[in-house]
Amino acid sequence: MQEKKLHLKNVMKSFGGRKVVDIKDLTLGTHGIEGLIGPNGAGKTTLINLITHKLKMDCGQILYYANGNEIDLSKKPIDEIARSGMVRTNQIIQDFQSLSIRDSLLLSLATPMYENFYNIFSEKKLRKAAEQEIEKYLDYFRFENSDGHALSTGEKKLLDIIRCLLLKPKVLLMDEPTTGLPQDQTDLVIALMRKKIVEEGMTILIVEHDLDLIWGVSENVYFMAEGEILIQGPPDEVRKNKTVVKKYMGEGDA
Amino acid sequence: MGQILSGYYIYMLSILLIFIALATILHMQFGLTGIANFGLSGIWGFGMYSCALIILKLNIPFVLAVILATVLTGIISLPIGRIILDLDNQAVLVGTLAFLAIIETLVISEKWLTNGVLGYGPVNYPFNFGTYTKFVYFLIILIFTIVLMFYARKLESSPPGRLLLSIQDNEPLSQSLGKPTFRQKLVFFTFTSALAGFFGAIAAPVYNFVFPKYMGPDITFTLWIALILGARKRIFGGLVGVLATVGLFNVVLETVVPIPSQYAGILYNAKYFLYGLTLILVLMFRPSGILGDKKRSKNIKNIGKFEKMEG
Amino acid sequence: MPFAAFLKSTFIIGLLESAPLMLAAVGFTLIFRLNGFINIGYAENATLGAYLAVTFNAILGWNFYISIIPAALLSGVLSVLTYLIVFRPAMKRGVGKTEMIILSVGVSFFIRYGISLIWGSRLYHFDIAKTHYLSFFGMGITSTQLICLGLALIIALGLYLFIYKTTYGETMRALADNEELAMIAGINPIKVSVLVWFLSGVAGGLAGIFTGVFTWVNTGLGWHMILVILLVAIIGRVGDVRGALIAGAGVGIITTAVTLVTQPAYGVVALLVIFIAILKFRKVRV
Repeated sequence: MQEKKLHLKNVMKSFGGRKVVDIKDLTLGTHGIEGLIGPNGAGKTTLINLITHKLKMDCGQILYYANGNEIDLSKKPIDEIARSGMVRTNQIIQDFQSLSIRDSLLLSLATPMYENFYNIFSEKKLRKAAEQEIEKYLDYFRFENSDGHALSTGEKKLLDIIRCLLLKPKVLLMDEPTTGLPQDQTDLVIALMRKKIVEEGMTILIVEHDLDLIWGVSENVYFMAEGEILIQGPPDEVRKNKTVVKKYMGEGDA
Repeated sequence: MGQILSGYYIYMLSILLIFIALATILHMQFGLTGIANFGLSGIWGFGMYSCALIILKLNIPFVLAVILATVLTGIISLPIGRIILDLDNQAVLVGTLAFLAIIETLVISEKWLTNGVLGYGPVNYPFNFGTYTKFVYFLIILIFTIVLMFYARKLESSPPGRLLLSIQDNEPLSQSLGKPTFRQKLVFFTFTSALAGFFGAIAAPVYNFVFPKYMGPDITFTLWIALILGARKRIFGGLVGVLATVGLFNVVLETVVPIPSQYAGILYNAKYFLYGLTLILVLMFRPSGILGDKKRSKNIKNIGKFEKMEG
Repeated sequence: MPFAAFLKSTFIIGLLESAPLMLAAVGFTLIFRLNGFINIGYAENATLGAYLAVTFNAILGWNFYISIIPAALLSGVLSVLTYLIVFRPAMKRGVGKTEMIILSVGVSFFIRYGISLIWGSRLYHFDIAKTHYLSFFGMGITSTQLICLGLALIIALGLYLFIYKTTYGETMRALADNEELAMIAGINPIKVSVLVWFLSGVAGGLAGIFTGVFTWVNTGLGWHMILVILLVAIIGRVGDVRGALIAGAGVGIITTAVTLVTQPAYGVVALLVIFIAILKFRKVRV
């Protein structure tokens, strides 16, 4: 399972002279579920944006290893990175306003062979192939109007997660996935995560402020502050670490 | 009967069909995919001129000329798409307008090739059925227009259509799901532009002589006004809009209610004056057009745009 | 002609001929700076200004220079009217940026063809008494035309100074940058916006008059300018009045150079190609 890894070397990003991310040498993805924690403004979302090439880094290298291939993420466009198995969910709600829930899911599941401009008769085939999986997810997470649109922010967040899961990513970067979700949905998400790691060999990196969740679910935790990864290790160690306690745990507890 | 079928009436109906086809193509480019193409008439006119030139200068038979003109149009829209499709909407609008101006200017100035403002032709009908020639040709245009609308209809409830819709809705999100949005837009833009060139090529015999003004801003704006009025997001938006503008002014007003010729100039100005007014009123009070937006599930309302992904 | 002379006359002719354009670009940029959208209807300020001036001058028989004043002022009023009746309500309704441009196209049609309905489609010429024919760097020009160009240049620079060197100008820029903050500081957004749109309309009207003085006045006057105005505004960094001035001059010079060497059509094409190149490389984020 752990042939997937993310190796960051000398990755730096500044905004207007202020350094937001500064990582000398970091390897992510060595465990099934990893947590990334840190105070607001530490640079966590920026880091994810750099990895998925939403943002260009000022310098450095991010190498992604999967199945023996090495890909330099800084040279690939966003969509190619996603296709190679590195997918992220969004901290700020991202949605397709004009697509219904089912539309969103069908969009995710459609592979290039369905989407050529001349494939105007492939809808039936796609629906048939996708039916089982879509219904499974719709049963699991009960949406208020599953034949229509996602209504609340919580539902939109869930939809975001499901869309990503349907892509069967190798590495899933989740940016505050449970913020705004009611507890029962959060539990469903976590249970699903655990399943995916075992069944599909997925590697997950969760950015969270809900520390109980992080300690409970992660096998490995990274603590980030002021753009740097200061501490990393098993959750029991990290939660007791003096720097973490001082810089963060006073403010970060859910 | 013969008079109706071969006269001005059939001519106008044929033009009407062509405009409906173009407005539907514009719907696919703008309403579905979000490409604000203000140069569509230039692409259409390019197809028309290509067809005419191929037929008259190279002596190539009509059907082959139409095919070649279509392919040529696709070929030149490829670099145009390459350039504009990763720009934001305002830049696309203004950039395609600039392309339109370039094409029109070149067509006028290169008189050795195009005869400039004098018009190029004559392009004759590819067959002869006596008084029924124009009518038969009209039927052919009708068939192609129906096929086009069928394609548009099927497209929107199919995976490629959904992808295009997602690109208009939230392109960065679509990309983050692994969709090759630029390539999808480029291929679709090239294809639909080639279609516009096709309808330009088959329009050549109807007009008989091809003029630079067919490539100009007046036609582009008429198409846009028609689409916005009809409903930019609906497949039949183009049809409704064209009927309400070109249909009303050029067919109803001219044939059913004949206008004495001394008022022709005033009618022309009044027409575009009203088009401008219509555009203003529609965009201010009913931006989705006469037919409105697609029916969605009843509990969603457009609250407003979410922040796009930070970048 | 020898290269040095070519450069000199190109530069001077280009600079002068682009004076109305610079003026138009400044007016255009004012609106863009304030409200953030491309107003294609702006071109019709120029058309209307020219028609009004020609009405006072050729139809009513007034002196040319006197006709300019009411014509320019009325163009300003028209501009304000389009703002208050169309654009401001539309912005309040949350009409998107692309739709605003299409809306402005509607306004452009409305005004232009409205003008056709009122004035007809004949060409009008300014009736200018007592004008001298000069040869200016190899270019045949009348004294009136020369004065107009000079005026255009002066007014364009004057506008620039007003915006950047006076307190009122500062107020306008503050409003453009942040409406909420400006309101807290006691600035009345409607009053200031009206002033900006008025000035913009006056600049456009004057640009139209100063252009029409060279050839004739017809309904296509504004429309022919709009793409070049857009070009100048975008090259000059949309929203930057300084840039509009410089770009305007540059565009005039390049057009003159290309036209002198080839033919006018290619001058236009060259401009448009530059336009598209700039759009692409600036990746205009508006």
